Amino acid sequence: MEADGRVALHNVTVRYGRRVALEALSGEFAAGSLTAVVGANGAGKSTLLAAIAGVVKLAKGVVDCAAHRRLAYLPQLTAIDRDYPLTVAELIALGGWHEFGAFRSPGTALRARAADAAEGVGLAEKLGRPIAEISVGELQRALFARLVLQDAALILLDEPFAAIDAQTVPVLLDQVMRWHREGRTVIAVMHDLDLVQARFPATLVLARRCLAWGPTETALPAMAA
Amino acid sequence: MSLHALIVEPFQTLAFMRSALVACLALALMNGAVGTLLVLRRMSLDGEVLGHAVMPGAAVGFLYAGPSPLWLSLGGLASGLAVAALAGLVTHGGARRDAGLVAFYLVALSLGVALVAWRGSNVDVMRVLFGTVLAIDQPALLEIATVSSVIVLVIAALYRPLAVGAFDPAFLRTVGVRAPYGAVFSVLVVLALVASFQAFGTLLAVGPMLLPAAAARSWGLGAAGSMVLATDFGLAASVTGLLVSYHVNLPSGPAIVLAAGLLFAISLAAANLLRRLAPIIGQAV
Repeated sequence: MEADGRVALHNVTVRYGRRVALEALSGEFAAGSLTAVVGANGAGKSTLLAAIAGVVKLAKGVVDCAAHRRLAYLPQLTAIDRDYPLTVAELIALGGWHEFGAFRSPGTALRARAADAAEGVGLAEKLGRPIAEISVGELQRALFARLVLQDAALILLDEPFAAIDAQTVPVLLDQVMRWHREGRTVIAVMHDLDLVQARFPATLVLARRCLAWGPTETALPAMAA
Repeated sequence: MSLHALIVEPFQTLAFMRSALVACLALALMNGAVGTLLVLRRMSLDGEVLGHAVMPGAAVGFLYAGPSPLWLSLGGLASGLAVAALAGLVTHGGARRDAGLVAFYLVALSLGVALVAWRGSNVDVMRVLFGTVLAIDQPALLEIATVSSVIVLVIAALYRPLAVGAFDPAFLRTVGVRAPYGAVFSVLVVLALVASFQAFGTLLAVGPMLLPAAAARSWGLGAAGSMVLATDFGLAASVTGLLVSYHVNLPSGPAIVLAAGLLFAISLAAANLLRRLAPIIGQAV
C-alpha cells in the first residue's frame, strides 16, 4: 500500500446553521495510522469524518487528503435506508463503483470478488437476501464487505460497532486490524473506550475542539477529565 | 352487453376516447419509473407539492393566452422548476421541512385558483384543478408522448446513481460523484407533472404517478421489477378508469385515479395476506 493515506487538517471548522459542530481543528493522521475518535454526543466526531469524506462543507480551513479518490466511508447505520429493495450481493458489489461507474453494471469478476468479500465477513449464505430482511449486524457486515471491495487507502468508520450483536463485533474488529496491518489509514468514531484502550494505537478526543490527540495511553485520559 | 361492447366499442367509435387512452398509456409509461423513484426516495410529499407548484405558473400562462396547452405547460414548467429549486434549498429540518412544503402547496394552489378565477370561468377553474383527459388534442398528445419518452430514456441512463442516491447518498459523494442527480430527478418530476397537467389537472396529476408505484412497492420486488409492475398497474388503471367513466358517466380523471387507488388497496391487502400465509404455506411444503 503506497503512503497516500495521510490526512492533514488545517483549522477545520464546520457549522450547521449557526451551531458550530467542529471548531479550528488542526493536526495530522499519519499514513497507515489507526485512530479512534472519541467524545461526548454532539462533540463533532461524525462531523469530522463527514468533513474528511467531503460530505459536508467546511466553514473554514482545509482538509489535505491525497487519498481523495481512494477513500471509503462507512456512515452511521441510520443514514442507510434499509427499506430500499436491494440484495446483499448488490450492496457489496457497489464497492467496485470505480470499475463500473455510474452507467454500467458490475461485471462477473467483480461479482465474484463481492462474493469472496461476503464470505470474509460471514455473509456467504445471505448474498441473495434483501437488505430489509437481514439483521443490523448483518447489514454492518455487508457494508464492511463493500469497504473491502473499495480497496481504499483511507477508511473512515462512523460508529462501526454501535448497536451490533456480540458475535459480529470480533469479525468486524478483525477486519479493522487487517486493514491496519495492510498499511491503510483507518479513522473510527468509537464509543467503547475499553475497546479503544485495548486495540487502537492512537486516539483523538473531541469536544467540538480538540481536547487531546496522540498515543491512546496519553490522549484517552482527557476523555475522563 | 357483450364483452366487445363493454371494452372495445367505446374506443372504436369515439376518437376522443382513443386520444385519451393513448395519452394515459404514454403517461403510464413514464409514471411507472418516476413514481417508483419518488416512492423509493421517500419523496411522495415532494411530488404532491410539485404537482401544485405547477399551478400558479399555469395560471399565469392562462391569463396570458387563455386555455392554450402550450402556454399552460410553459407557465407550469417555470413555476414548478422554481419551487423544485426552493425545495432543494430546504433540505434539512425534518418536520419543519414538511410544514414548509405544505405551506408551499397551499399557497401555490390558492394563488393558481385565484388567478384563473380572476379572468376565467368556473369551467376553467375545474379544468386546471382536475384536467380534461377527454379533451386531449393532437399537439397535446405529441407533447405527452415526447416528454414521456425523454423521461423514460433519461431515467434508464441515470438509473444507477439515482438508485444509489436514494438509499445511501453519502456513498455517491465519497466515490467522487459530484453531479447533482437529485436536482436532475426533481426536474424530471416537474416535467412529468407538467405533461400530466392537462389530462389530470393540478389536484390529480400526482395520483397516476404515486398510486400505481405505491401499489407495486407492496409486492416486495426489486427496484426495476417495481417500475415494471407500477407501469402495468398504471396501464390497467387507465383502461379501467376510462371504461368506467364511459359506461357509468363519471368524470374520467377521478375515475382513473380511483381505479389506481383500488389497485393500491388490493395490493396492500394481498401482500399482507401473503405475509401472514407464508409461514403456514412454508410448513405445508
